[in-house]
Amino acid sequence: MAAREGACAPLKPLHRSGQILMSAHLKAIFNSYAEIFFLHGAPLGAAIFVVTLANPGVALAGIIAVVAAYGFARLVKMDQQFLASGYYTYNPLLVGLSLGFLFKLSALTVFFVVSAGVLTFLVTVFMANVFQTYLRLPILSLPFVVVSSIAYLASLRYTNLLVRVQHDTPLLTTDLGLPFWLAGFFKAFGAILFAPSVVVGLLLCVAVLCYSRILFLLAALGYYTGAMIRDAMFGSTSHAFADLSNFNFILIAMAVGGVFLVPSLTSYLLAVIAVAVSTLFADAMAGFWSLYGIPAFTLPFNIVTLGLVYVLSLLRHPMVATSVGRTPEETLEMFLANRLRYRGQDRTLYLPFAGRWTVWQAFDGQWTHKGSWRYAYDFVITDERGETHRGDGSKLEDYYCYNKPVLSPVRGRVAHIVDDLPDSPVGGADETNRWGNLVIIHDERGFYVELSHLAEKSIRVKKGDWVERGTVLGLCGNSGYSPQPHIHVQAQAADTVGDATLPFSFVSYSDGDEYQANNVPAEKRVVEPLYRDKRLDNATNFVLDDELCYAVRRDGKPAGELKLKVKMAPDATFYFESARGQLYFGKHENTFYFYRVAGNDPWLRQLFLALPRMPLACRDGLTWHDYVPVGLVASGLREAVVGVLSSVWPKLATVKVTLRFASDNRVESVIEAGPLRVRKTASVDLDRGKGFARISVNGLVFERVSQPISPSP
Amino acid sequence: MKPAYEKPVIKKLHTGLMNKFGRSPAYARKVRRDIDGVAIEDLVAKFGSPLFVYSERTIRQRYRAMHTAFSTRYPNVVFGWSYKTNYLNALCALMHQQGSVAEVVSEMEYDKARALGVPGSKIIFNGPHKSPAALEKAAREGATINLDHLDELNDLEQVAHKLRRHVHVGIRLNLDAGVYPQWSRFGFNLESGQAMEAVKRIKSGGKLVLNGLHCHIGTFIMDATAYARQVAKMVAFGCEVEKAFGFAIESYDIGGGFPSRSQLKGVYLPPEVALPSTDQFAEAITHALSKALRPGDFPKLILESGRALVDEAGYLISTVVASKRLVDGTRAYVADAGVNLLFTANWYKFNIELDREVGGINEHSVIYGPLCMNIDVVDEGTLLPPLTRGTRLIVSPVGAYNHTQSMQFIEYRPASVLIGGTGEVDLIREAEDLGDITRREKLPKRLAVTGGGGK
Repeated sequence: MAAREGACAPLKPLHRSGQILMSAHLKAIFNSYAEIFFLHGAPLGAAIFVVTLANPGVALAGIIAVVAAYGFARLVKMDQQFLASGYYTYNPLLVGLSLGFLFKLSALTVFFVVSAGVLTFLVTVFMANVFQTYLRLPILSLPFVVVSSIAYLASLRYTNLLVRVQHDTPLLTTDLGLPFWLAGFFKAFGAILFAPSVVVGLLLCVAVLCYSRILFLLAALGYYTGAMIRDAMFGSTSHAFADLSNFNFILIAMAVGGVFLVPSLTSYLLAVIAVAVSTLFADAMAGFWSLYGIPAFTLPFNIVTLGLVYVLSLLRHPMVATSVGRTPEETLEMFLANRLRYRGQDRTLYLPFAGRWTVWQAFDGQWTHKGSWRYAYDFVITDERGETHRGDGSKLEDYYCYNKPVLSPVRGRVAHIVDDLPDSPVGGADETNRWGNLVIIHDERGFYVELSHLAEKSIRVKKGDWVERGTVLGLCGNSGYSPQPHIHVQAQAADTVGDATLPFSFVSYSDGDEYQANNVPAEKRVVEPLYRDKRLDNATNFVLDDELCYAVRRDGKPAGELKLKVKMAPDATFYFESARGQLYFGKHENTFYFYRVAGNDPWLRQLFLALPRMPLACRDGLTWHDYVPVGLVASGLREAVVGVLSSVWPKLATVKVTLRFASDNRVESVIEAGPLRVRKTASVDLDRGKGFARISVNGLVFERVSQPISPSP
Repeated sequence: MKPAYEKPVIKKLHTGLMNKFGRSPAYARKVRRDIDGVAIEDLVAKFGSPLFVYSERTIRQRYRAMHTAFSTRYPNVVFGWSYKTNYLNALCALMHQQGSVAEVVSEMEYDKARALGVPGSKIIFNGPHKSPAALEKAAREGATINLDHLDELNDLEQVAHKLRRHVHVGIRLNLDAGVYPQWSRFGFNLESGQAMEAVKRIKSGGKLVLNGLHCHIGTFIMDATAYARQVAKMVAFGCEVEKAFGFAIESYDIGGGFPSRSQLKGVYLPPEVALPSTDQFAEAITHALSKALRPGDFPKLILESGRALVDEAGYLISTVVASKRLVDGTRAYVADAGVNLLFTANWYKFNIELDREVGGINEHSVIYGPLCMNIDVVDEGTLLPPLTRGTRLIVSPVGAYNHTQSMQFIEYRPASVLIGGTGEVDLIREAEDLGDITRREKLPKRLAVTGGGGK
């Protein structure tokens, strides 16, 4: 029927004006430069490279080492994707710089640098693998320390290598008339790239500042903390502030305060502590190492940072960054949104019943959910008066939940059943067989679920049966230690009856009128499991190469066209691709999510904002909440300020989206960021076939133009 | 007042004998002085007689009980309030407030639901007569349409063509669930292959998308296993359709027909004994459903219960206007409400209660309505003590079908009131007057009646 009206024009070739186009090789090499400052991106790397040119000999040696390492990696056919990040080539870069700092460039030096570059690459790959496997730690610049030390030691015998005579240009030596404490900071910054110069340091600072305010502030924090401690210890202020190894403090503060930990008051405090601790190290090493005529390089930074990160990970410190962004600001933004966004556990259960039940006892309950059995839930049915029974409740039949079906909360295989115990009379309890009639199901994700107190001879499955979520297991009863009929559910590590419990959470349920994707309800809450609605499931069933095409209007006027195509990333996540970016989406446990947006498409960000998540089950008046990264509502200077301030005032970055089903195919949402005074409204109309028919966010309207994808195959 | 003279009759009395309930039938009385705490006399004084009275408390209780019975046994249950059972706005709104969608069977009912504020997407449109205009309206507004016959299928395809989009539909099935007579006049027959033909026809047309199955096996079904058979057949058919044509069946609408606690004429046992409980129906249906469905698959289960939710919440208060002795000596009463208001008197034996204690011995009595028609009999024979004029008879349960099928015939139709949860009484439909009856009439001028009459 109806012809495809106004089908989308094909994607236009992309013109990215203003963006430096460079070959993949060049990008990979420049990436190594950015990595040194815990940042990513070839443009930044290129800028840093240009800054290093202030000292051409050093710069040249650096680039030779990187090229050598990169070439060797290509020779041994290392995966291009790993290589492109710069993660394996920044250590060779540092080694090259360190050698260029020491020797004058000649044919022999080039050979020396090339060998050292290749060696560093080998050490990097080796150490990276060992560290990752056994310690779950990154290698930072340890390979650089190792190889540079080796190279310096070796060079003691290589008298044919010509030691570089310092012909420093005024550019490198000028202090620009800055006071010693400021000049010292910039010099230390420059020293990271073996260019202890105020000008170089200043330029690097500007580059870092452009990318991350937090990193810059941490650099300053680290430097001044370390320098002041040294000042107190040495008794010589100028000496303390001018010490070149102060760059270690800068690196430590940046790594601890902004990279490995989520930027926060805690991380800043830990950064200060780490710097303080490292002063001992730095000075001890300077003394010890110098016996052999070599500097300590970044060894203090490596040891203190790795040691601290290892300990914090071991203790499962909540601020250890589990997903690291391109900048500390991004890490923080993701952390703040995700902390509120994703709750619950990986051990996810459906509620083990149908309809509205009441939580009688939750985790750490007041009666029996204690000690090893603290992770358990009890459910009953209550009426409008809050009673669990009609009449006087003296008979089991009076209880609303008695003989109601108990449904399987997981997919799995029945591991054990008990079916022959009598139901205890009301108020009585079987002390001997505490768990009563029960079913234990083995979930292949690696745990067991036990459902207890079922009615005598009511169990409808047998050992070895495969059950799906929602399969009827039996009927609610009062067997075992149960004063009144109820369902008891717990997750456990083994299939023994009444084993010690494990934490878990429930997915896809309503708590009152609010949808919960993955959470644990509180006691006395009335909850109902929501199973997959076929219509909503089909409506969000986007498959590879599906295309959605929208006419975009802003305040009623045509603003262009948005064409989305479904693609898959190498990590098997799916995204909508537009001409300028990617919007990642997925379905998990009966909820449709937009996970994140990448690239530079403001329209995709609006789509994310309008529907960050949607339950795949519709109930009248069902509402739900989500939290999105603050970058979706703030941009430019505002975003930069929020990025820094939210590390000490997380509420600033809280963007709450409240959504509800206005009808069974329309979602309405309110987006609020209180402290930022942002309030927007949005609505999404689902297509009766597949996808979204119309999305409206604050005056921006996306109207589907193509015929919906034929729902009949 | 002096009692009116009455010609003496001789009646045989069996004094001292008890019936099986341990009481003497000669003195058994059913007295109701109030409904939900509101005195009968107050209701009549304020709103007149006869008077339909509905109990909000009972409706909510019935709804909750029934909904809980089903929703705690199957995780995806939707109730569709059958408008034809009683489409007084207040009652429909009450049902919608409880969470029910609207189930309508005509354009009039559809319009009524829309006028009440129900969005199209919350209306199920059934019935054998849906005009092309009504179909278009429903399709436009996103209603769930269940097709009854091939002509309607053609009409809806035209609508889809006009709207330039796919229209989602359900089809109504009729099948043998062991209930007789089988309602084969509605929908497409399953066993003969008619239904599969219809699905093929939908598929080949390419304009409609089948996403639901509907079936309603009858009314006042007294056997829970009939539903189990119905559900098993529907789901088997749905799975076959999904496999063969790729349609996704999102909902199974199993209709209604659940009995209320009404006493069918000719059934000896009282309804509490003769009828399965709501839980038994729910158990039979959901058990059959989960056996038939693929594990982990929970399409919507739609129930279109009407009578079972509202019947017991409805009362009709009427007044004895006269008493007589028939020629065979039987006691007879004339009440101000008859079959004009109690259409279901044809097949149910109502519970008739008195508003006051009355002395005297029970007598086999007939209750006639006010119509000047021989068929107007509310009860052919019931035991009543001698009633005086003005005694109120409270007839129940009359919540289902009586209001919607009541006629404006000979008499005016009375008011309806709703007693709220806290005893407040709201007038939900005013009593009719002459204006209601003549409003639509047009009298040609030449026929104008002049005072003098004749030429």
